[in-house]
Amino acid sequence: MPEAEYSTTARLPVQVIWDYVREMDNWAPFLRGYQSHEKQSDTESVWVLKGDVGMVTRTVKFRVHVDEWGEPERVRFTLKGVNEPMEGGGEFRLAPYEDASAAAAAPALAKLGLFARMLRWLYRLFAGRTERAEGANAGPGAGLSRLGFTLRIKPGGPMGPMVDALMKPLMLPVAEELADRIMAELEKRNAPPS
Amino acid sequence: MAGAPARWDLETDVVSIGSGLGGLSAAIAAHDLGATCVVLEKAGKLGGLSGFGGGEVFVPANHKMKELGLADTLDEGRRYYEFIAAGYASAKHQKKLLDTMHEAIRYVGEKAGLRWKACQGLPDYYYPNAPGSKASGRYLSVELFDAKTLGEWQAKTWLTPIMPPGALHEEMYAWGGLAKVTTWDYELLGKRIAEDLRSFGPGMMAAFVKAAVIDRKIPAYLETPVRALVADANGAVIGVRAERSGKDFYVRARKGVILAVGGYDHNKSMARMFEEMPDWNAVFPAYLDGDHMVMGPELGAAIASVPPTNLALFYGYSIPGEEVEGRAFWRSSWEGGVPHAIWVNKAGERFCDESFYKEYQPKIRHWDGKKQEQPNTDIYLIFDGNYRERYPLGSFMPGQELPEGMAVVANTPRELAQRLEIDPDRFEGTLARFNANAEKGEDPDFGRGSMPWAIRLVGDMDYKNPLLGPLNKPPYHAVRLRPVSVGINSHGLAWNLDAQVMHVRGRPIEGLYTVGNSAALLDLGGGYQSGTSNSRAITWGYVAGRHAAARKS
Repeated sequence: MPEAEYSTTARLPVQVIWDYVREMDNWAPFLRGYQSHEKQSDTESVWVLKGDVGMVTRTVKFRVHVDEWGEPERVRFTLKGVNEPMEGGGEFRLAPYEDASAAAAAPALAKLGLFARMLRWLYRLFAGRTERAEGANAGPGAGLSRLGFTLRIKPGGPMGPMVDALMKPLMLPVAEELADRIMAELEKRNAPPS
Repeated sequence: MAGAPARWDLETDVVSIGSGLGGLSAAIAAHDLGATCVVLEKAGKLGGLSGFGGGEVFVPANHKMKELGLADTLDEGRRYYEFIAAGYASAKHQKKLLDTMHEAIRYVGEKAGLRWKACQGLPDYYYPNAPGSKASGRYLSVELFDAKTLGEWQAKTWLTPIMPPGALHEEMYAWGGLAKVTTWDYELLGKRIAEDLRSFGPGMMAAFVKAAVIDRKIPAYLETPVRALVADANGAVIGVRAERSGKDFYVRARKGVILAVGGYDHNKSMARMFEEMPDWNAVFPAYLDGDHMVMGPELGAAIASVPPTNLALFYGYSIPGEEVEGRAFWRSSWEGGVPHAIWVNKAGERFCDESFYKEYQPKIRHWDGKKQEQPNTDIYLIFDGNYRERYPLGSFMPGQELPEGMAVVANTPRELAQRLEIDPDRFEGTLARFNANAEKGEDPDFGRGSMPWAIRLVGDMDYKNPLLGPLNKPPYHAVRLRPVSVGINSHGLAWNLDAQVMHVRGRPIEGLYTVGNSAALLDLGGGYQSGTSNSRAITWGYVAGRHAAARKS
């Protein structure tokens, strides 16, 4: 099953991020290929996305069920294709980010040069996992939070293994884009008046 | 001079306009004779139409057949080509094509690293009825190509949505063909996709791109459409005016310009004028818009044609929500030739052998002189519950729910006809007759099941006649079909035996060549056979490149 995991940090309290993520209308358009969504209850929603399967862009409808609203740390969900044989799930994870050594790791990695960057690239390639921490908002300290996003999608049916291979390269960019856009929007909203 | 600049932005010997088979073959051949070359490509990817297609290269008596012990001769090949031409080819063009084809194919194999293999088990279109036809081996394709060797070009070369990625021809047939998609080895395909091992057109063009752009270091400019040819006072072509990032980009061509931009599929006014089609859609991306038919005639180039009634025109459909490069993706439809499916026109009647496109193509344009209409330009694919249980529709697997708006569905044939506004009595009569014969494995009206090529491609070997099964199980479905083109047109530029474009005054235009689907199908004539587009593109690209390289600057 293709899986992508991505985490990013921002100089914002966890509760601020939670309040934003809790309301899916806020960030739904940030999802790559977003067309529409319909909230049917606090835990049920239907999403229409355009996604690439190889060369072809398909419009896919998903039914999403929130398994856990774990305020303020976690949202777990499962998803199932309405018009496509796909299923999967994922989660948002929120936590205060005060681990100085971890926060410092990214800049240190950058200083290591080509070898470290290659290791990181390999990690991304094979684990489908990455992290944004060297940006302007990185660094440990009060009010710093980490948002992690994991997405898993398993194409079903006889063609599943082929569709799986076609989708795999796209999963991480989807996760990165969503988490980064959420954080960027929150930083913009919460920027001190200039 | 016609639009010559005060200063050229780039100077080279040979400019290939277009990066499909013709353009790259010409560049490779010219380069190997010492010419400097540049490739200008309108799209954001290299490979052209050739990189989007099936990648079959039709070569009678090819060297790979001999290695496999498959009997064939040049004379049999010639007779088969004459059969296809039906008297409409230029004999001298066809002779030179056949005389040069093997040399060109072997050249790109030996000098450019194309790893050819003969497709076993795929018959010629007209086997066994046509003189010189063969049951197997005349289609060459490439071995799996490792696209990781393309480096930065890996993501800048075409993949195709019309063929299963990573599959080889023989595998596809061994797995059951296009109809039996539930029995394919998708685990294997998944692994090949993950490793970016390419087959069909993408594999072939990846190999050509590597040979031209990586191994020979021929510069290739993406997103650089050529807007006009530049000629000197004598009318000889000396360069081009292209466009890069919204600005003019003048490239001098000391020895020649190769016009290899494909056809005019996306130019609907040309389609109406040249193909007698009130409306059509195109399978391939939007770059085939007839540039050659504008830039050539601007300098006096002559247009030539072959009969439009027997070329590569299909019926197709667009699945709601499916797009390629931001536009609706039109698929050519082979589903009508599968058991439990037929096509009907708005009169509620079958009108062709749905499994063999060469038979139905002339009927697409059929003109009803009493009604002043073309009754077959807007038709329906009809299939039943048996079909839905067994066969796919486009990318939708058997049983998978079809997207909203894709099909009209009804519980009875009569109800379906009423919903389609077709005479229900006539429709029921059509179905009853087809079903009665299909039960016996026969199609006395149109002979469906008589062409081995069609059986190989879409047949279900579980059936007495692999292309016939009755429509007798609800629900009944109808999908609207429209004509779709696949890049091979009836009109193109006139050219001579050196692939030089001909002037309307009957002389060659110095410095200007045309190959591939931009060149009128003078060498093929009144018919078509899959893979002949590719073999003629390689052959005439080879001829054009060598001729241009030998010209004095």
